Amino acid sequence: MSILDVKVADVEQVTEVVKHFTLVQENGEPLPHFSGGSHVVVSMNINGRIHRNPYSLMGSTSNTDSYHISVRKQENSRGGSKFMHEQVTPGTRLQITYPVNLFAISKMGHRHILIAGGIGITPFMSQIADLNRLGYDYELHYAYRSPEHGAFREQLEEMCGNRVHFYIDSEGDRLDIPALLKQQPLGTHVYTCGPEPMVKALHLHAQNLGWPDNHVHSEEFTAPPVGDEFTVQLAKSGMDITVPGDMSMLEAMEEAGAEPPFLCRGGACGRCELEVVSCDGLIMHNDHYLSDHEKAEGRSIMPCVSRAKCSKLVVNL
Amino acid sequence: MERGYWIRSKPLYDSLIWKQKATGHVVIAQGEGGIAVLKLFQQMCPREPITLLFADDAATSKNYADIIQSLVPEGVHICESEQDVLDKLRAQLPDYLMGTQFYVAGSEAFIWDVLAELKVYGVQDINVEKELSGTLARSVYCVHCKTTDRDVHHSIHQCSGCGRHLFVRDHFSRRLGAYMGVMVDAEEPGNIPAKEEIYP
Repeated sequence: MSILDVKVADVEQVTEVVKHFTLVQENGEPLPHFSGGSHVVVSMNINGRIHRNPYSLMGSTSNTDSYHISVRKQENSRGGSKFMHEQVTPGTRLQITYPVNLFAISKMGHRHILIAGGIGITPFMSQIADLNRLGYDYELHYAYRSPEHGAFREQLEEMCGNRVHFYIDSEGDRLDIPALLKQQPLGTHVYTCGPEPMVKALHLHAQNLGWPDNHVHSEEFTAPPVGDEFTVQLAKSGMDITVPGDMSMLEAMEEAGAEPPFLCRGGACGRCELEVVSCDGLIMHNDHYLSDHEKAEGRSIMPCVSRAKCSKLVVNL
Repeated sequence: MERGYWIRSKPLYDSLIWKQKATGHVVIAQGEGGIAVLKLFQQMCPREPITLLFADDAATSKNYADIIQSLVPEGVHICESEQDVLDKLRAQLPDYLMGTQFYVAGSEAFIWDVLAELKVYGVQDINVEKELSGTLARSVYCVHCKTTDRDVHHSIHQCSGCGRHLFVRDHFSRRLGAYMGVMVDAEEPGNIPAKEEIYP
């Protein structure tokens, strides 16, 4: 996995809970080009333990002098967002992966409806740069909790003009997803990023209204849920690794010196899939990659977000 | 025919079945596709609005238009010809919304003519129900002179554009709606296998 050494050039408090970080390459060179909707994985050394969190790139795709990410401070943070908010200041050195895009605008689409909830606005910031450049027909619907939580509102008004619509929950504005979906011409694609209930609701409404699955796109990075401690055995090396309750299986394997594959670290891409040899308990699947059928079969696990409720899980690694 | 091997671009066709989730249904059929339409209307008829565009094949004596008209409850448009079907469809497409389900039945050339019209409006062929009816005749695209011949029943096929003898492959272009035809005697000029009817 290729790693970029970056330095924090600027930190801006956007709202009470959101900070915006500007990253530049440590050696002063331009950063790699990326497409709208891409993300990077940021490594953080927190008390000797390496945390890796995915964050969407939200700067313009035409700017490679710096990358821009925004981090919402999570109330039940496993450490990552808290670290970014409390420890990272201008001058801090970080390591990030090359950008990866799991949430690109479909070039087959004739019209694009973007639906953001809260901090889920970030991937759309770079997508809008692409949509504007390509001259595509789009609309942005951005819902947030209360006026002070409307991160980047002014910037969006400037970028999108009358294509952006805001919905402020505390003022009783609600986005009516079925009404929005019902009036779209053929060839429309819909994209959403935000809290899980919103993403689920969109998929459900779109399906019920007869939208084909390949016209509905979502990105939802899951933080690895906490659980019980268990032991994972790597079948090829025979190594036994204890996975503490507050650490993901992927993180525990990395800390033990194994080098399992990974890409998004959010249960979305499927790159870290491991074959399950045996499990003397239950696998707790938390990813969006495996089908329900595959989850029930239990022959695979996504160690970035999934874990087991067992004493020993053996994987083919 | 090689066992366990196939060319993945070769389209596979199914029987038309109503989609359960929809805001409307548009059925487009031609010729022997009439049978597919009649089979479709033997299933439970959906509640959402239906539009049906159909043209009998003038070349055959078989006629489905009357039966369809007497059977289908609403939205039936009997057209003069395949071209008339395509023209009417083109005129209606701007009014359809997401959630409309499309169903196509007829010859392969007709199916892909319809899909080309739908593609203009961003409807992807993978999301359209398709039933191949009546004939396996292929449209063949000559990779040498870029002529497309319709209603090809034989491989080897002599190209109407350049006269080359073409071996018809299963390699299919969704953009052109045609199979690839390649010169069969390029390496040994004059060594042309006998033509066989394999797409009756």
